[in-house]
Amino acid sequence: MPKVAAQADAITGRRRGRRVTTSLSEINVIPLVDVMLVLLIIFMVAAPMMQKGVEVNLPVTRRADKLTNTDPLYVSVPTSYRQDRRVFINQDSVPIDLLGERMRQSLQGRSDKQVFLRGDGEVQLQELMDVFGRLKEAGVEKIGVVAQERRNQ
Amino acid sequence: MPNYSFRTKVVGAVIVAASAMVAAQQPAPQPPAQPQTQTSVGVIISDSAGAQVRLAVPDLLALSADRETVEAARTIGQVLWDDLHYEREFYMIPRDTYKSIPPAASIGTVPYERWRELGADGVVIGTVQKVATGIKVELRLYNVKAQQSIYGREYTGAAANPRLYAHTMSDELHESQRSMRGVARTKLTFSSDRNREAVLGTVEKREVKEVYVADYDGANPRRITINRALNVFPNWSPDGRSIVYTSYRTGAPDILISNIYAGTMETPSKGSGQNWLPVFSPDGTKIAFTSNRDGNPEIYVMDRDGSDVRRLTNNPEIDSTPTWSPSGTQIAFASGRSGTPQIYVIGVDGAGIRRISQESYADRPTWSPAPYNEIAFSARTGPGFDIKILTIATGETRQITFGEGTNESPAWSPNGRHLAFMSTRAGRSQIFTVDRDGRNLRQITREGNNQTPNWSQ
Repeated sequence: MPKVAAQADAITGRRRGRRVTTSLSEINVIPLVDVMLVLLIIFMVAAPMMQKGVEVNLPVTRRADKLTNTDPLYVSVPTSYRQDRRVFINQDSVPIDLLGERMRQSLQGRSDKQVFLRGDGEVQLQELMDVFGRLKEAGVEKIGVVAQERRNQ
Repeated sequence: MPNYSFRTKVVGAVIVAASAMVAAQQPAPQPPAQPQTQTSVGVIISDSAGAQVRLAVPDLLALSADRETVEAARTIGQVLWDDLHYEREFYMIPRDTYKSIPPAASIGTVPYERWRELGADGVVIGTVQKVATGIKVELRLYNVKAQQSIYGREYTGAAANPRLYAHTMSDELHESQRSMRGVARTKLTFSSDRNREAVLGTVEKREVKEVYVADYDGANPRRITINRALNVFPNWSPDGRSIVYTSYRTGAPDILISNIYAGTMETPSKGSGQNWLPVFSPDGTKIAFTSNRDGNPEIYVMDRDGSDVRRLTNNPEIDSTPTWSPSGTQIAFASGRSGTPQIYVIGVDGAGIRRISQESYADRPTWSPAPYNEIAFSARTGPGFDIKILTIATGETRQITFGEGTNESPAWSPNGRHLAFMSTRAGRSQIFTVDRDGRNLRQITREGNNQTPNWSQ
């Protein structure tokens, strides 16, 4: 369409040099791809009765899904993270710098790229963002935030 | 099968000794006299969960401060990591994650706890020291959980090629930990126009193709031929001391053997007819080749010195590109006798010919080494070719390249786990290697046009 218009101008000789403004007819997919790349699915699960992992004071919520994963991979962020910058993969204490590589190893051979985050209620969102970033880099696709369900409602 | 592994071990030793002979500056790693305990199960690292064993290879410790030693320490660590990564037997922990771990103060004091935090089951710690004859390299594999050294090696030699120490250690680690033969010390030979000279004589305005050799990873390329003609289809002798190839130095194609360490040349076919595509038999005593001496391209076999020439095929269509079976009793080749080129197998005595490929166009077969009984070939799959692998026992074919440029001239690694081939996927024709499952693609050459690779034993 724009091509035809430009030709007509050229033939008549009028308005030579004037730019023909056109609209881009394709969907620009690049921003969409960007979104897909940073997308990390975060959902909330209720803490199961039997728990592995280190002890943290889980945040409290009103409603949460049941944890159905039979072999969940836990990452725990205790309040001590603020001082020593260490988190736990299941029972294993790991400095935050090595979390990405250790998580890559843990995800090897697992079909679900899913991690359950047991963060202490006191831990700040800023601190968790660092953890999220490293998990994402290691290939984690879904993070389940583990919470304590409020019982006396 | 045990026979095979014995033979390959001896050959590997010869290659190392030979490369030291030809160039005095090449290091010749000497295994220490200490007794080996690698047959014991206890020295093999294994992960309890059955996952891949995770290894870390940090930079070696330079015990002398001169630039050469420091450079060697860095190179050996990186090359050893690459070599181990190449065989995909271990999970190699990326080297950029080691930054937070302090280097070992000496070869005996390893910060095990830090390596355990990184998830390493084993860590290779080493030192490089300047000595009167060159450098001394000591390498140890530590079991991080048991906190003990389970494998150690000490090499002394020249400092000119530190990569060879890493290659040797990698092969020995694969041997001791995985009872398999690595390819780190093997070499590739190929034909290249990288020196950009024009051909002298008959073929005008064509660029020279000379025969080159390089390490399996493309390092240390060296030119073998200097005759300013087309020199193509190089093929290693099993002992790695000679290369046989097709040369157009007299205008017509003929077979030449370059004894690369002795610096001598042989012309076994003595100028009868046009002869090309020579390949050494697995025992190195015979050469199969294509010749039109009887009027039409047919497959022939002769002794290495050119005597006892025997014709295997007799057909008015073209028969070419012979390749030996690992036992040396059969030869596969491409033939146009059914219309389009297809792969056929024939006994070395000329009996029992049978067609094995059912492609639209199949060329350049190469028979894999034991224990895999497979033939890799180039198949036309569109405008170009792709590499396919035919399992002889079942007749099944699988494809390992998928239309990125044209992919031709496959050549097996001596352990049968990898293939070298020529591809135009990166623009000009270059040598690539790929694993037999189609993964782990690597570009080996980058300079000029490179083709018809062959892998040393």
